[in-house]
Amino acid sequence: MIVRRKKLDASVPAMAMGDIAFLLLIFFVILARARDDSHLQWKPATGQELTRPTTMNASVVVDKYNVTYLNGREIPVGTLAEELKVLLGENPAGRRTVMMKVHHEVTAVYFEPVIEAVSEAGGELHHILEEEKNQR
Amino acid sequence: MKLKRTKLLVEPPASATSDIAFILIVFFLVCASVEPDKGRAQVLPRAEPEPQKDKQSQTIDVELTRNAVILNGNPLPPETFRKSIVLKLADKTRDEDKIVAVKSRKEVPYSHWMTVTGIIEDSGGIITLQLEEERTVQVK
Repeated sequence: MIVRRKKLDASVPAMAMGDIAFLLLIFFVILARARDDSHLQWKPATGQELTRPTTMNASVVVDKYNVTYLNGREIPVGTLAEELKVLLGENPAGRRTVMMKVHHEVTAVYFEPVIEAVSEAGGELHHILEEEKNQR
Repeated sequence: MKLKRTKLLVEPPASATSDIAFILIVFFLVCASVEPDKGRAQVLPRAEPEPQKDKQSQTIDVELTRNAVILNGNPLPPETFRKSIVLKLADKTRDEDKIVAVKSRKEVPYSHWMTVTGIIEDSGGIITLQLEEERTVQVK
């Protein structure tokens, strides 16, 4: 007598996939928001021959209300240099990039002290701009 | 005689949830990366309280007003400024001679400042900022 072996169903439990993907989604959203300054209102100035920075060690925003933010957190300009020194630490040249996002209408009285603070902290400035459209 | 109705197990199609969640991941990642991240690098010397003046080198002075540029005391329109700064920097070989001191009035907008400093850097100049130090004077 031949006894037939029972075929076991070895399917992947598809029910768990949704949970896994949902956890991944939360992970990525939290990761994206860790250094988030997307809620800030600023419009970049225009420029030509723009490049992408190779590293990004800090981000400074001066929004349309002339308020300064370091990595998405509001900060008084007086303490910006010290905070940047801590952030940049002893990083070698090339790894001290500070992304500078300034609203195009902000005046010198607000953005120059910020540039001075970055310079004092030994940061390498990278102004974030919008590609200028050729008007022909 | 009673006939028992067989109970059907109604379950949502679980295999689709992973696809939905994956599409959601892609959507959020795309949303997060919309911000502009291109720009222009700028090299500025470290800030010093008092600039060391080299008597042998003559720095070029650029003053910015809201709409205009003043080069060594002469107001110039932007298109003439480019030609003038190129001419001034053309014969400079030493780095210390290429220093351009930029002084901005309080009302100068960032877009104008970026345009002018961009022209200076493209012409081979090294930018230093001249800032007015804040002083508190007590009036009796």
